[in-house]
Amino acid sequence: MSTPTTSGGATPPVPQGAGNSTGTPVLAPTRSSTGKDGTSSNLGTFGVKSGLAQMLKGGVIMDVVNAEQARIAEEAGACAVMALERVPADIRANGGVARMSDPKMIKEIVDAVTIPVMAKVRIGHFVEAQIVQAIGIDYIDESEVLTPADEEHHINKHAFKVPFVCGARNLGEALRRISEGAAFIRTKGEAGTGNVVEAVRHQRSVQSEIRKASVMNEEELYAYAKDIQAPFHLLKETARVKRLPVVNFAAGGIATPADAALMMQLGCDGVFVGSGIFHSGDPAKRARAIVQAVTHYNNPKILAEISEDLGEAMVGLTINDNLKGGRLALRGW
Amino acid sequence: MQPSMYREEITVGILALQGAFVEHQTMLQKLSLKQRINIVQVRTPEDLAKCDALIIPGGESTTIALLARLAGLLGLLRDFVKAKPVWGTCAGAILLAQAVEGTKKGGQELLGGMSVTVMRNGFGSQVESFEAPLEVDGLRDSDRPFHGVFIRAPVVLSLNPSPNDPPIEVVSRLSASLLPHNQTAIPLDVDDTDPCDPRTIVALRQRHHLLTTFHPELTKDDRFHEYFIRQCVLPSLS
Repeated sequence: MSTPTTSGGATPPVPQGAGNSTGTPVLAPTRSSTGKDGTSSNLGTFGVKSGLAQMLKGGVIMDVVNAEQARIAEEAGACAVMALERVPADIRANGGVARMSDPKMIKEIVDAVTIPVMAKVRIGHFVEAQIVQAIGIDYIDESEVLTPADEEHHINKHAFKVPFVCGARNLGEALRRISEGAAFIRTKGEAGTGNVVEAVRHQRSVQSEIRKASVMNEEELYAYAKDIQAPFHLLKETARVKRLPVVNFAAGGIATPADAALMMQLGCDGVFVGSGIFHSGDPAKRARAIVQAVTHYNNPKILAEISEDLGEAMVGLTINDNLKGGRLALRGW
Repeated sequence: MQPSMYREEITVGILALQGAFVEHQTMLQKLSLKQRINIVQVRTPEDLAKCDALIIPGGESTTIALLARLAGLLGLLRDFVKAKPVWGTCAGAILLAQAVEGTKKGGQELLGGMSVTVMRNGFGSQVESFEAPLEVDGLRDSDRPFHGVFIRAPVVLSLNPSPNDPPIEVVSRLSASLLPHNQTAIPLDVDDTDPCDPRTIVALRQRHHLLTTFHPELTKDDRFHEYFIRQCVLPSLS
């Protein structure tokens, strides 16, 4: 008891007051409101955008396609739900263009639960983002799971009051998204496969590139920033704090409590589960077990107990060139 | 404090089931006090048994309550709140309240312990989250406003101490003009410039318990962490 008990040693804390601290750039424009007595507050600051992601840490965000699934997720302990029209496994199976969900469905989900509700929009489709912001959701995922609307540009996320999460395969991609205004990063993984291998690859890349950058001097950082196509100031801050300057979750292919705990032990702050829950035999039970696994990720005894008797996991797919629906992780620039 | 009562070190637990618990840990580690502070991330009954005091962090109150029950902590936490100092921020404040409005369908489990009623997500969705300067009372340098970070924050609807309960001390208020105007759940017939409106209360202390609806752990200002140790934890040990 003489040293602080820190089981989550692999994950250093997100820098305090992200968005206000010296060194972390204030990225978002702020909309001010001034009260009658002259006191003012700031809405939609980068601090409250990244702050909500900090409140989601140690939690599981679950894909849901209707209000009923959202309620099951809330009862199972989800810290947020992601509203989408079809889970990634179905997008893969059915093909066609995948778009933002029907606002009516998103509103029904917002009304059904008290936890934060997120919604996916297509890469570069800033009008879909304007629409879901107008509905009053809590987070937008500019997602490679939907069919991209722009093959060159991502959304300028600074222009929104609602915060954004984006996928990344490596450090350069993560920092490009943060420079565009993302307040929250996740691995891309390979959505809808039930195969965690790509999420592991992406998380390991980000971690190893951060470790590399953290021992570089300034000249080397300038060259490395050019090499990985990352903004220098964000790379420098990342090297200083030895982690991404925003919260980083795992996503793409997580299907079991063990998968979730693996991603946590690899240094993720929390987990997104897409098809893995509602494509399994007993969604409520599996969802609850994954929630517990993210809390107790460093306790194999508890992990063994909660992994028992969960019924059928979703069918997993091998990731190769013949993968039905293609490799979604390659979308994003 | 009597020399015989002086404790060389105190153990503060941070409920680490879900949410922003590492941020509280970082703040506590930076405090410079005479006492040494041991920090325990609490996930099991054994962790909780080591603690002299507890911080319940921000996160999702429904998730934290469920995980507490599944970890066999819910009853133990209720007993802990009755006996020892506890500070709840945001979701933690919801869990410490006696009654909560705006709960999930079917209601949700609370720990209770403080004689207040709060409303979940009292300001609305994330687009209504904000930062604002707060006046504070009883903190170090109380002339200097505290930077309040409110994220899907709860709102205090009423204080309801019964005659036998310890008195409630208001530590911080939000300017009445910054209260939400578009919330149907909050009665609008109240004069929104009334400085005593309970909805303006954003931090309060009831004996050894502290409640903040905002997030001091997301700032670089350690005055609330110091206040909790000085006003809640140390007096409970003597």
